[in-house]
Amino acid sequence: MRVAAVALNTFRETIRDRILGVIILFALAMIVASLWLASISLGQEDRMIKDFGLAAISVFGLIVAAFVAASLVRKEVEKRTVFIIFSKPVSRSEFIWGKFLGLAATMLTVLTGMTVFLFALAWVVAGSPSGSLLLAGLLVFLQLLVVMAMTMLFSTMTSAILASVWGICVYAAGQLSHNVLSLSRLGHSEVTHVLSTAVFFVVPNLSAVDLRAAVVGEAGHGTTLLAWCAYLVAYLVIALFAATWIFARKEF
Amino acid sequence: MSLPRRLLALAAVAVCVAVVIAYQADRPAAATPNPVVFVPSPGFYKNFSPSVRATLADVYWLQTIQYYGEHVKTDHRLDSLPAMVRLVTSLSPHFTEAYFFGAFSMIDVGRPATAYALLQQGYRANPRDWRFPFYLGFFAYTYASGAHKDAVAAQWYADAARLPGRPEFVPRLAAELAMKGSAKQTAIDLWTQVYCQGDKYARQKAVTALDGLLPTDKVARERAVARLEPAVPRALFAQFVADLFQGYK
Amino acid sequence: MRAAVTSAQAPGREHDVTLTADRPTTTRMLEIAGLHKTVAVGFRRRKVDILKGVDLEVHDGDVFGLLGPNGAGKTTTLKVVLGLMRPTSGNVALGVAGLSELGYLPENPYFYDYLTGTEFLRFCGRLFSMDARERERRIAAILADVGLQSAAGVQLRKYSKGMLQRIGIAQALINEPRFVLLDEPMTGLDPIGRVEVKEIIQRLHERGTTVLFNSHVLSDVAALCTRIAIMRDGRVIWQGTVDDALASSPAGDLESFFMQVVRS
Repeated sequence: MRVAAVALNTFRETIRDRILGVIILFALAMIVASLWLASISLGQEDRMIKDFGLAAISVFGLIVAAFVAASLVRKEVEKRTVFIIFSKPVSRSEFIWGKFLGLAATMLTVLTGMTVFLFALAWVVAGSPSGSLLLAGLLVFLQLLVVMAMTMLFSTMTSAILASVWGICVYAAGQLSHNVLSLSRLGHSEVTHVLSTAVFFVVPNLSAVDLRAAVVGEAGHGTTLLAWCAYLVAYLVIALFAATWIFARKEF
Repeated sequence: MSLPRRLLALAAVAVCVAVVIAYQADRPAAATPNPVVFVPSPGFYKNFSPSVRATLADVYWLQTIQYYGEHVKTDHRLDSLPAMVRLVTSLSPHFTEAYFFGAFSMIDVGRPATAYALLQQGYRANPRDWRFPFYLGFFAYTYASGAHKDAVAAQWYADAARLPGRPEFVPRLAAELAMKGSAKQTAIDLWTQVYCQGDKYARQKAVTALDGLLPTDKVARERAVARLEPAVPRALFAQFVADLFQGYK
Repeated sequence: MRAAVTSAQAPGREHDVTLTADRPTTTRMLEIAGLHKTVAVGFRRRKVDILKGVDLEVHDGDVFGLLGPNGAGKTTTLKVVLGLMRPTSGNVALGVAGLSELGYLPENPYFYDYLTGTEFLRFCGRLFSMDARERERRIAAILADVGLQSAAGVQLRKYSKGMLQRIGIAQALINEPRFVLLDEPMTGLDPIGRVEVKEIIQRLHERGTTVLFNSHVLSDVAALCTRIAIMRDGRVIWQGTVDDALASSPAGDLESFFMQVVRS
C-alpha cells in the first residue's frame, strides 16, 4: 500500500512535470523526419522510419531514464520532502521501490506513446503493420528499466548529474557487453582476463537479445527472450537492493 | 539602459548577424565536393550490436545517396561509392536496395566489373532473393565479353528461375539464353518449366522452342520427353506430350 | 513509556522508531536523556558535536515550546526523535506506538509542485495505510480545519507561503496524531496566518494532543505553551513551565527571561 502510494505520487509528479512534452516533441520530430527522409532515401522511407524511429525512441527513453531517475531521490532530499515522508511509517526500501515503480510506470507511458505513434506512422508509410516494432519497443523498455535502477543506485552515492552520466555509460557499456567477453578471451595477461570477466558480469548485458535489427530485416540475435527478461529483472532487483542499503544509511 | 547604449548594443548584434549570414551564404558557392571521401572500414563496426549496425547502415546510406547526387551530374566521378556501398552492405547485409543502387551506379560511371562483384556479394548474403542472379545474368549478358558470356548469363537466369517470387518471364529468358549459348539440355529443361508454369501464350512459345531443340526422330524424341516426365505435373503431362508430338504419327 | 531509539544504531537498521504496541502508562510523551549527536563535515570529515547531552521531558498533553538561538540544535533534536538522524549516544523514549501516531511539520516545508492539495493529503493518508473512506473523511475535515477547502483542487506550486504552511499542518494532522512536532510553524506567515495557526494549536491542546514546536516568536510561545525548554550550543540549559519562566523573568516577559538564560 505504501509502495503503491509512493509509486502513484512519483508517477503523477513526473507525468505532470511536462514529461509528456517529450512524446509530443518526438512525434513532431518523426513527422518532419519522415517527410524529409522520404525525399532523400531513394525509396527506403519504410526502413528509415522504422530504424531511425526506434533509435530515437531509445535515445529519448534513455534521456528520460537517466536524467529523471537521477533526480528522483536527490530532489526529495534537496527539497526536503523526505522529511514529510520519513516522519511517517515508511521504510527506506518502500520509498526506493515506490520511486522506481512510479518512474517505470511513467517510462512505460512515454515509450508506449512513442512506439504506438511510430507503429502508426510506419503503417501509413509502408502500407502494412509491423508487429515486430511493438516487440522492439518493449525490449527498449526493459533495457531502460535496468538503466533507471542503476541510475537510482548511483544517485544515492553521488550528485544527480554524475549519476545521469554514469547511467548513460551503463547503457553504452551494456550494448557492448559481448565485446568485453571477447576482450577477456583475447588478452594474454591474467589480470586483463580477470578484470574483463569481472566487468562482463558487473555491467548489465543489454544487447543479449537484439530485435531492433530484425525490424529492418537484419538478423537479430539472442537467447530466449524469457531468460533475458529474468536476467534483467534479477539485475535491477540487485541494483535496487543496493540502493536501498546505501540510502538506509543516509541521514537528513 | 540609456538610449545611446541601447543603440550601440543593437548595432553590435546587427553586425554579428550580418557576419553570420555572410559567412554561411558564401560557403555553398565556395565548396568543391571531393570525389574521394573518407569511408570507415566495415571492420571498425564489426563488434557493434546488430541494431546499432543497422542504424549506422541507414546513416551511411543517406550519405551515399548525397554523395551520388553531388557527383553523378558534375564531375561524374564516384570513386568512393563502391567503398560506401560496401560499408552499408557490410553493416546491413540484407539491405538489398543498396547493392542494386551501387551496381547500377557503377554502370553509370563505366565500371561493370565492380557492379558485378557487388551483386555477387549481395547474392551470397541474400541467396533467396531472385533479383540478384537475375541482374547478374543481365550484367553478364550485356557487359561481359567472350564466347561463354551467354552460357554464364543463362546459368544466372536459371538460378533466378529456381527462386521463389521470380516473375514468369525469367525461366523463358533463361531458356532462350541457354539455347543461344548451345547449352541445349539446360534450354530444354527451362522451356519445360515455362510450359508447366506459364499461361497459354507461354506454353505456345515453349512448344515452339522445344520443337526446335528436341530430336526430330520420333523414337529419340520419345526418349527425350520421357526423361522430362518427372519435371512435369501429372495432370499436364498428357497435354505436354500431345503438344510435342503434334504432326507425328 | 516504551523503549525506543537507543545509542547508535547498528548498520542496516531501518529508521522506524522501535516501539511496541502497548498503551502508555506514564504521563511522559517524550523523554530524552544524554542525547549526543556528532557529524563529520567537510573533505577531511572533521567531527562536529551538534548535540552535547540533551535532556528533555515532554508531558502528555503539553504544548511544549523548544526555544534557542539559531544553531542551538533544536531541529537536530527533532530529527533524532523522528528517526531522520541516528543519535551518537543517549536515550530517546516516545510515549506513542510509533510514527503512525506522530505528526511532523518541517521548517520551511516544500511539497510536490504538481500535486493538488487533496492529492497531496491523499498521498499522506496512504502512507499511513488509512482506509479509503476514513482517509477521505479526514481530508475533508482537516481541509476545513486549516481553511483550504477552496484551494484543495489547486496545484501546490500555486499556493502562497501561508497556504503551504497550512497544507503542511494538514498533512501533520491527517492521521489524528497523539503527538505533533512543528518546526517553526509560524515562519513566513502574515498576522492572519499566525493567528490561524495559533488557533489550530490551541484546538489540538483542547483535544489532548501533545504539541512540541520550535519558534523564535516568544510572544506566541508565551501565549500557547504550557512548558518550555531553552537550548544553547547543543544542550538544554533550562526547562520548566511558562509560569516559572515568567516568574523568574526580570521584566516579567519571556523575552527578557530568554535573554537572561541564553546569555548567562
